[in-house]
Amino acid sequence: MAANRDVLLGLVEEFVSGQQDSKAAETATGVKTGQFTVLELVEALGLSLTSPEPQTRGRGVQLLSLVLQECYANLSESEVEVLIAFYENRLKDHYAITPHVLQGINALTKCTLPSGLSISILRSLFQDVHVQSLMLKERSCVYNILINLMASQEEELKGLGADFVFGFVQAMDGERDPRNLLLAFQIAHSIIYRGYELGKFTEELFEVTSCYFPIDFTPPPNDPHGITQEDLIMSLRAVLTGTPRFAEYLLPLIIEKIDSDVQSAKLDSLQTLTACTAVYTHKDLAEFLSGLWTSLRREVFQTASEKVETASLSSLKALAACLSRSVQKSDSDDALQSFLDLVLTDCKHHLCEPDLKLVWPSAKILQAVASASYRASHKITGAVVPVLLEQYKNSTQCAQRRTLLEVVQGFVQPVQSSLPGEGDESVLSGFQEPLCSLVFSALCESSTGLQVTATRVLTALGQQPGLLSVPDVELAADHLTRLVLEEEESEVCSAVLECSGSLARLFPTAFVSKMIPKLKEEIFSEPMEQGESNAPKQAHSQQAVRQRCLKTLAAVSSKASVAQESAPILLEVLSSAHSGSCSFSLEEVVSACHSLQRIAAQAQDTEDVGRFFHDIIIPRLLGLAVQAALHGEGEGARNSPLTEESVLFSLVLVMSTACGRLQSQLAILTASRAVSLFLDGDVSFLPENDLPSPLQLLKKQSEAWRQSQLVCLLMACVCSMPRSVEIPQIDRLFCELEELSCTCTHPFAYTSAAKCFAGLVNKRPGGEELDSMLERTMKRISSELDCASSSFRVQAFTLLLWVTKALLIRYHPLSTVLTDKLFSLLKDSELSGAAANGFSLIMSDTEDVLNRACHADLRIMYRQRFFTENSAKLFQGFNSAEKDRKSGYLKALSHIVNHLPRQVQITELPALLPLLLEALSCTEQGVQLSTLSCLHPILTDPPPALTPHLDSLVSHLLALTTSTVMNVRIASLRCLHALSRLPEHMLLPFRARVIRALAVPLDDKKRLVRKEAVLARAEWFLLGSPGR
Amino acid sequence: MKDTLNVLHKFNAHPDSRCWYVAWNPTGTLLASCGGDRTIRIWAREGDSWECRFLLPEGHQRTVRKVAWSPCGRYLASASFDATTCIWGKKGDDFECLTVLEGHENEVKCVAWAPSGSLLATCSRDKSVWVWEVDEEDEYECVSVVNAHTQDVKHVIWHPTQELLASASYDNTVRLYREEDDDWVCKATLEGHAATVWSLAFDPSGQRLASCSDDRTVKIWKESHSASEEDGAGTSSDLHWKCICTLSGFHSRAIYDVSWCQQTGALATACGDDGVRVFKEDTNSGPHQTIFSLSVHMPKAHSQDVNCVAWNPKEAGVLASCSDDGTIVIWRYQSDT
Amino acid sequence: MSGGTHLDNANPVIYQRSGERVLTVEEEDEDIVDPIDDREIFVTLEDLNVVEQMRVNVDDQGSTVSVEFTPTIPHCSMATLIGLSIKVKLLRSLPNRFKIDVHITPGTHASEDAVNKQLADKERVAAALENSQLLEVVNQCLAAKI
Repeated sequence: MAANRDVLLGLVEEFVSGQQDSKAAETATGVKTGQFTVLELVEALGLSLTSPEPQTRGRGVQLLSLVLQECYANLSESEVEVLIAFYENRLKDHYAITPHVLQGINALTKCTLPSGLSISILRSLFQDVHVQSLMLKERSCVYNILINLMASQEEELKGLGADFVFGFVQAMDGERDPRNLLLAFQIAHSIIYRGYELGKFTEELFEVTSCYFPIDFTPPPNDPHGITQEDLIMSLRAVLTGTPRFAEYLLPLIIEKIDSDVQSAKLDSLQTLTACTAVYTHKDLAEFLSGLWTSLRREVFQTASEKVETASLSSLKALAACLSRSVQKSDSDDALQSFLDLVLTDCKHHLCEPDLKLVWPSAKILQAVASASYRASHKITGAVVPVLLEQYKNSTQCAQRRTLLEVVQGFVQPVQSSLPGEGDESVLSGFQEPLCSLVFSALCESSTGLQVTATRVLTALGQQPGLLSVPDVELAADHLTRLVLEEEESEVCSAVLECSGSLARLFPTAFVSKMIPKLKEEIFSEPMEQGESNAPKQAHSQQAVRQRCLKTLAAVSSKASVAQESAPILLEVLSSAHSGSCSFSLEEVVSACHSLQRIAAQAQDTEDVGRFFHDIIIPRLLGLAVQAALHGEGEGARNSPLTEESVLFSLVLVMSTACGRLQSQLAILTASRAVSLFLDGDVSFLPENDLPSPLQLLKKQSEAWRQSQLVCLLMACVCSMPRSVEIPQIDRLFCELEELSCTCTHPFAYTSAAKCFAGLVNKRPGGEELDSMLERTMKRISSELDCASSSFRVQAFTLLLWVTKALLIRYHPLSTVLTDKLFSLLKDSELSGAAANGFSLIMSDTEDVLNRACHADLRIMYRQRFFTENSAKLFQGFNSAEKDRKSGYLKALSHIVNHLPRQVQITELPALLPLLLEALSCTEQGVQLSTLSCLHPILTDPPPALTPHLDSLVSHLLALTTSTVMNVRIASLRCLHALSRLPEHMLLPFRARVIRALAVPLDDKKRLVRKEAVLARAEWFLLGSPGR
Repeated sequence: MKDTLNVLHKFNAHPDSRCWYVAWNPTGTLLASCGGDRTIRIWAREGDSWECRFLLPEGHQRTVRKVAWSPCGRYLASASFDATTCIWGKKGDDFECLTVLEGHENEVKCVAWAPSGSLLATCSRDKSVWVWEVDEEDEYECVSVVNAHTQDVKHVIWHPTQELLASASYDNTVRLYREEDDDWVCKATLEGHAATVWSLAFDPSGQRLASCSDDRTVKIWKESHSASEEDGAGTSSDLHWKCICTLSGFHSRAIYDVSWCQQTGALATACGDDGVRVFKEDTNSGPHQTIFSLSVHMPKAHSQDVNCVAWNPKEAGVLASCSDDGTIVIWRYQSDT
Repeated sequence: MSGGTHLDNANPVIYQRSGERVLTVEEEDEDIVDPIDDREIFVTLEDLNVVEQMRVNVDDQGSTVSVEFTPTIPHCSMATLIGLSIKVKLLRSLPNRFKIDVHITPGTHASEDAVNKQLADKERVAAALENSQLLEVVNQCLAAKI
């Protein structure tokens, strides 16, 4: 033990006299390991602590405090008691010692204190220390002591009564450091929220904190503490808005600061006001309501800033919400009523003034207040809507009526916070009739704006129960039908479509009876005889009407009951187009398909619609397509539109959308029907099955490409099912599809076969079976590709491409081999261009297969992974390629990078840039465009890696601004525009050159190019120029 | 009659900027140019092309509006929007700025050497014309500040033989000055233009003065010795010049410069419609009737405004022009008559 | 209304954009030449941060553009600055071949002639744009709206 004591004395000596700071840690280790106790340390410090030199005493206390910081957890109660008594005593010592004393106390307050001690500490602290004359670190120490004590000794502290608050107020009074302020605000916040007694010091506590309001703080550059103005604002706001007892001081302060010229102060004041209404009651607000109203009204009426306006409106809403909440009884002294009266008095008359000057600000205020609660909305709406209706009736100008209708819309739009409660009726129910007639009269006006707004009001009325009666809805359906048939303005058309859609969801019957028959009639009305002078124009507008009707059929069909009426009409369009009984253009047939697809996609009650598609639509579509294909084979037969690729492609989308949503029972059935149709020629489920047999749709028949291309419909059925649906006869299917895709000469047919094959491969469970099948296929593909004289190389390549994609997106290990094969084709003289473009297909989403809607096995990160695994190969390939083969690599690279997420693009940029720049100088315009489109997003927030390439980039971009292709000119100008956001010092060397070069596209023959040139050049002019 | 103006050379003298002015040295071997890029360049013919022989080190903070060679050809003066005038001289193989003349409140628009070489005039947007004296040690001293114009003074020019100074202004007038009792005073105000007078040129003898203006006309003025007797008003020392000829209808925009060929008497103009025109005096033009007719018009002489034309002082018919498009063109003018 | 002092622009008349549909890039026929017309220049100037009434007259073939603007207040001292901003915007946005004239609509400003003369003087315009304070104000007028 004596040895330990000597060691300890040695450490003390070296720390105190030897000034060796490291000894503190050694001492602490000694205490922690039990080599010596804290009391022994105090004993050993004896001499230094009683030294006449304040410096020596300070050093002694410092050692003790440093050790305590490490070891406070192991102290016994009695040790704590002794130490605290010691430290309290030291607080009266020389000022140079105080910092170390505070450190010690701070450490000790983290222990469990024996009762009474916390009070004693606080008394000494408040009595003997003048906090604001301490250094920053010591002040922080004092705040931490308070925080520690408040955390563990709340009861004792509360026993101090208001003295505690007083002590704290004195301690923080005058604090300037943002870090310490955050601590002080935290303490003040706890005082309020933990219910400490404020006593007569409420105002003092408010004053000492509110003097920082509104916070104006700009962190120094490279601030290591990372404290933002926002941090300070939020923590001060929590204090100021914490208690209604501050209301009488805070509200006048807010009124004063809303007046400030500084926008951030205005905003802070408004947000603080909004925050405090959450804890206030009407009593706290009463006295200040008229003052607040005056300020807020002024801000809304006069502000130039949207932010201030929005904040003011939120405050108004919050005030009204607070009043609504706390005033339960509506007696004569109702604060809500009187506040609303105040608002109405000042705003309502603006709605009536003929010049409508302050209509918008007034309307915004009234709507904000009304949205606070059902009661507020009841009163405001009741007072305002009749005025608006009257105004509307009396106004002669269309623009004014439009403004008024837009205001009405604001009041009609349902707002969650002011919806009627149970048993209450809508605040608008008294105005149901005049509102409806207002809407219907506006729908009859010729002004686009009025019509559009009227549809929105109508939608809003429909969404609230009881505001549209059945006759109203029917009338509405009539009006909407009329607009669909007559209105050409695209803005109105889309508004009508939207409104019809949302009303039909709520009132399907009315639309089935009123709208659908008229649409059908219009669709099947034959085009007028040609020959008159205005015939082409008429034909054009009639086509447009048909298109609108077809679109509307889809828009209103979200309910099964409507879909069952509308989908058969669309089917009929297809069958008449096929039979030629009614003439439809190819675009119209495609539109009919799109509408069917939309119906399948948006079906609300999926089960009913699904069954409907399964039972009726899919068999009919397949039947029609098969008939069309067979029909077309005959000599001199009329070509059915259903054999056209564009129509087949849209049929694929209809069927895959529908099949993708089928319930599993129906899905299994559909899959097996489709497979047996295509493999065995089983047509029994088709509605009109008097077809020649045997049908052999998948067999290669050189003449019968119309039949071969139907394989796309097989794909639509079997590749869109959930993975759990087992596809029957899968092996036979694979064989036949492989054969068709490798030997068919019709591009659409062999590509569809390849896609179908790929779609099935993608969902096939992994394992030996799949691997051996793939191996077989790969062998076939390779042998075809390796035979330079083969006439089926393109087919083999197409299959390779799709199978690669199918495996790649599910992370199948075999995909690497296939990818390498594709890379090797970049050197192929015949296929290099196709191979390069193939990477675009691999990296992008495909619409008809291998996507999420088709339940494909698709990993989200496959693109990044593909890039990471293959970029090196690509670079290597580029570097080693013959000169005339390099462009294929650049094209592939540009496609791949173009589809990468931006974050990846940025990280990879340093490596990619030199190649991308080469790609820019590649003569192929497709590569230029693709490269420009990958560069553009990077340039808007350019990474440092760009710097060394800037010169070359600018030169390349400038050269492309005079390209022969308009899109390249536009894209390069956009890149140059984006580039202007780089730091000025980087760009100034190029400024004169760019400005001069951009004068050329200012005179481009295309307006779109000139527009981009004007924008880009303007930015470059501003570079390095004052007032930018 | 078939007069021609052919391009001998064209070069991009101030790329990325405009070229405001060109000036031949007295021997006609060097051409100094200045522009919006704040530089002064000195060009010389090298074989078949024109090369920039000197790029004067940065002396001005803003646009250099005009340059002028001293009659001895050893010095070049430059007037700049930075409110200073610099005097440059050759030191070794390079030009150096020898003196900076300060005093004008804002943009100096023009500088001109008197034929003696001992006087220099400058003018500015501050409405004043300053006359500077050069002593044997090449020290410059301002001897007079004349505030005769009521607006921006655009141009100053010295009479070819006498100590007579002329200035042109935004106030639409031309004024003439002589020294009187150690001070320079305005002796005549030539009124007649309807807009800013941009530039002036004396004929070889100094008897006539041409002025060009934003009003799209050129006016020829001549001293009238009988005037003082006629109006009887002015003091005997006042000068009387009157307009004897107005060339109007030839130019479609502002005329920025006019130059009178010392050998052939042809008059060239620089116009804001991108054209260069040469006029020549009709043979039947006499003391009582001055008639100028358009000899050649080059409509697209430059792709933007032409700012300046300058006849070569030694080689008859060689004309230099410069433009907002930054280029200088050297022309050869040939006249049948 | 009691609280208001500056309500000049509380509910400005909003001019509707012309109904002309803007073609998308995909719909454009590359080979058709679109001449520079009044509306194109008007749209360019509309982006200026100075709200003024303007009349634009473009002759693409003759390479001239003239703009007449009406200052909101007849004595507005900002007229020269607004005119200057319009001129600078045109200088930066139009091909160099164009001759640009900017005038005040006749009869709408007290010192119309003086302002017009200043705007027409290219030397003074050039000097003004080398004055950094003036340039700063002009640039602020030109800076794209956010």
